[in-house]
Amino acid sequence: MSSEESAGPAHSPGYEIVYPQTSLSTEKKERILANLQKIVGKRNVSCREIDRLSYSRDYWPIALRWMLEGKVPALPDFVVWPETTDHISHIVRIASEEKIPVVPFGEGSGVLGGAIPVQGGIVLDMKKMSAVLTLNDDNLTITVQPGINGMNLERFLNQKGYTMGHIPQSLYCSTVGGWLGCRAAGQFSTKYGKIDDILISLEAVLPQGTIIRSKPVPKSSTCPRIDTLLLGAEGTLGVITEATFKIWPYPEKRALQSYAFSTLKDGLESVRTILRRGIFPAVVRLYDQAETERHFYSTKKARGKCILILVEEGDRELVDLEEAVSHTVCTDHGGFPTGEAPAAHWMETRFNVKEISEFTPRDVVFDTIEVSVMWDKSMELYQSVISAMKSIEGVIIASAHASHFYPQGVCFYFTFGGTSLTGSPTDFYETVWNAAMKACLNAGGSISHHHGIGILRSRWIREELGPSHDILKSIKKALDPENVMNPGKMGL
Amino acid sequence: MLEEFKKYLWVAKAISRLTLSTQKEVVIRFLTAKKKYLPEDNPKAQVEDILKCALCPNMCRFDCPVLQAAKSETYSPAGRARIAYLLEMGRVSSHDAVELMYACAACSACQQWCPFDFSVDDLLMGVRRDLVDRNLVPETLMDIKDQIVRTRTIYQNSRTSLGLEPRKADILYVAGCTVLNKERIIAQTAMKILEKAGITVTTLPEEWCCGAPLNLLGFEDDFKKFAAHNADSIKKSGCKKMICSCPECVYTFKEVYAKEGHPLQVEVMHTSEYFLELIEQGKIQFKELQRDLVYHDPCVLARKLHITEQPRKVLEAIPGVSVKEPPLTKEHTRCCGIGGLLAITNPELSVTLLRARDSELCKLADTVVTACPACKIAFKRTRNAESRDLSEIVLEGMN
Ligand SMILES: Cc1cc2nc3c(=O)[nH]c(=O)nc-3n(C[C@H](O)[C@H](O)[C@H](O)COP(=O)(O)OP(=O)(O)OC[C@H]3O[C@@H](n4cnc5c(N)ncnc54)[C@H](O)[C@@H]3O)c2cc1C
Ligand code: SF4
Ligand code: SF4
Repeated sequence: MSSEESAGPAHSPGYEIVYPQTSLSTEKKERILANLQKIVGKRNVSCREIDRLSYSRDYWPIALRWMLEGKVPALPDFVVWPETTDHISHIVRIASEEKIPVVPFGEGSGVLGGAIPVQGGIVLDMKKMSAVLTLNDDNLTITVQPGINGMNLERFLNQKGYTMGHIPQSLYCSTVGGWLGCRAAGQFSTKYGKIDDILISLEAVLPQGTIIRSKPVPKSSTCPRIDTLLLGAEGTLGVITEATFKIWPYPEKRALQSYAFSTLKDGLESVRTILRRGIFPAVVRLYDQAETERHFYSTKKARGKCILILVEEGDRELVDLEEAVSHTVCTDHGGFPTGEAPAAHWMETRFNVKEISEFTPRDVVFDTIEVSVMWDKSMELYQSVISAMKSIEGVIIASAHASHFYPQGVCFYFTFGGTSLTGSPTDFYETVWNAAMKACLNAGGSISHHHGIGILRSRWIREELGPSHDILKSIKKALDPENVMNPGKMGL
Repeated sequence: MLEEFKKYLWVAKAISRLTLSTQKEVVIRFLTAKKKYLPEDNPKAQVEDILKCALCPNMCRFDCPVLQAAKSETYSPAGRARIAYLLEMGRVSSHDAVELMYACAACSACQQWCPFDFSVDDLLMGVRRDLVDRNLVPETLMDIKDQIVRTRTIYQNSRTSLGLEPRKADILYVAGCTVLNKERIIAQTAMKILEKAGITVTTLPEEWCCGAPLNLLGFEDDFKKFAAHNADSIKKSGCKKMICSCPECVYTFKEVYAKEGHPLQVEVMHTSEYFLELIEQGKIQFKELQRDLVYHDPCVLARKLHITEQPRKVLEAIPGVSVKEPPLTKEHTRCCGIGGLLAITNPELSVTLLRARDSELCKLADTVVTACPACKIAFKRTRNAESRDLSEIVLEGMN
């Protein structure tokens, strides 16, 4: 299926490559191929054109558009499917010797180009390391390999009577390795936490082949954590090869509520108060007027308003209490109860992802931008990002909802759509992003809440991190002197 | 229509807020841009839908048995759509790309999660038709087509009848190629059940393949010839109802013939549906049968024909029979590996799919019961459990 005897041609002339690389000499290519085949077996290495094309991209919307324009983001030289941690350790050693990149690949649902092999090299597809290793009921933990698909993991847990509580919209199309690589957040995160909170320990292969394992303990105070350096590193500091997570008994009860508020501010204030009271609904989503109109057009009582969706789940008695407190707080803040239906509608449609498929071929450029901010700056940030995006010529829609909440602040999830009236779609796209990122930074927000940095956000990472970015660079240099792991990302 | 309009009202409203000249530009692009991204030569494939799938984040991937077995992006649903798009646009042309267009179990698992209601096999079928028109079909598949056209069946031993004298009857039993050539026991038990139930049944003097393999491989014209012939001989049989043991035959006769311009004038039923009818009429009666079984839903029966309750009710009607349910069951069933001719187009993948499904079933009981001859053959191959067709269990229960 995926095997190939010899290294194939660079690419056929049917498409243009956006990030072209100088091709490896035939001799070098044959040598690396032979070594890779020795490590993982012939069937686990491919140089076929169709495989290289399949790993040329992730779900970065502008790169998806390039496909229509006859362009391919970047081609790897090899696609490799490791089956063990040792395989990976050997592969990265060879890559260091040969000075060629290694790019870990989960399911390519990252939305910023993180998994695109911009400098060619080896794409390391983790899907053959997708086993559930242990489920421990006493400790309420599960240990898995990183290539497991999110839904397959959650299905397994549900069958056994548990949940991991990490339900990103990409649950169906992403892996555990990708979640850790990007520091992902699920839609039920206000109760269960983000993937960083759910992680207990991990195993990883560092860029020079060293294998590290952290201890599965609830907490320790033994020096700074080294393992968590891999979180959010997007494959630039090593490859995660195993992880242990917290799990929860499958919720006994789920309650659905919704309220319409006259202003976004009232809605935000309600949620802030609910959390201050120590109530953490699993799902909290507050939509601005534009998005309420878009997603809840059949809820008449919410017309012209901002709808709040709440889903509480867990132990029956606790859920009843959470529901009652949330109701009181929302109505006290002027929220009009709109019943279960809008929340049920959200539950039913939450995985219907159609926008890119529908709008890209119509020359509408579409993307989402998630940022985080403390409560006291939340309204200011919302307003300034929306007006920054709207100020760009060609923007048709600019809207947001708040999707993850903390007692200290909130994550806003902006959406923009538009068409380039003068320059190229890529220029238009970058201009809108730049306006949004600058507005976010000026308002004191963080430029990413859970999608990560990838290629696109690299240009603002210096402003985001300040001198910490230099420290990150030093760490990268120490761990990966040949810059083998996923080069060209995160400004590293 | 009104619902669709309401759904997109926000787009219209957003556009209405733009300046007049921008509005015009946006609307023109919105309505006309996609033409630029579609092939000019009017292919048979639905390239617009393929493009939507190619631009999807692969939302059904977790349930696609081919991807779960291949573990490669290339074999993911949207991954195949992307290569299909590049192929249709003439941007790739390799043998690998062509072969990939046949790597699908036609199990429709993708469809249940798809926001566009696509089943990737339907999308790929159009590409295969184009490959036929462009003379790009792999040789082994051309050979299969020639064999079917020559012998009227997909199997080498070329048996096309049960060898029974046709007679006048309201009920026509059509065995299908797989039963005729590989699993005659299914036809024999089905006929015995019907006889015991007092039903007069006839058969066709010569059964031609229903044409499903031709249709799946994109040989549209040949398929239509088979459909025309079969529609005619079914009509001539004078039957009112047609019973088949093979879900693929039922689906093809019932749904595909109608779609391709040869609708049958008779009711088409799968044996499980008809047996249940006879049980409810008291014509089939059971004695006690102590048996622990696990029932495997054939993909076509469960997802394309939506028949999941009938076979279960049939089994549950037999006193003493205990039916276990695998975790992936009913419309969430998993392919046995034979679907979509995968055993021919990609034997390696087919075996991996089979092993995965088989291991889920064998944990639960020593006997796997299914209602499709191809699934039965698949599970027989692994030898991990006894593999039986529904009719065999029904007959055991009647004896
Ligand atoms: C429709 C849709 C909805 C989404 N919804 C959400 C959401 O609700 N919440 C959210 O947080 N994100 C969401 N995302 C973004 C995306 O799904 C996440 O970033 C996800 O974590 C990526 O997982 P993946 O397996 O697809 O990783 P990939 O895209 O394959 O890789 C992402 C990055 O992680 C690295 N990586 C992958 N595996 C490993 C490994 N084993 N070790 C080290 N590095 C590795 C890659 O090199 C790359 O840099 C969504 C995306 C889409 C398309
Ligand atoms: S029909 Fe089955 S095998 Fe084919 S893409 Fe859909 S889920 Fe996968
Ligand atoms: S079949 Fe539907 S859900 Fe699956 S990849 Fe294609 S468009 Fe997406």
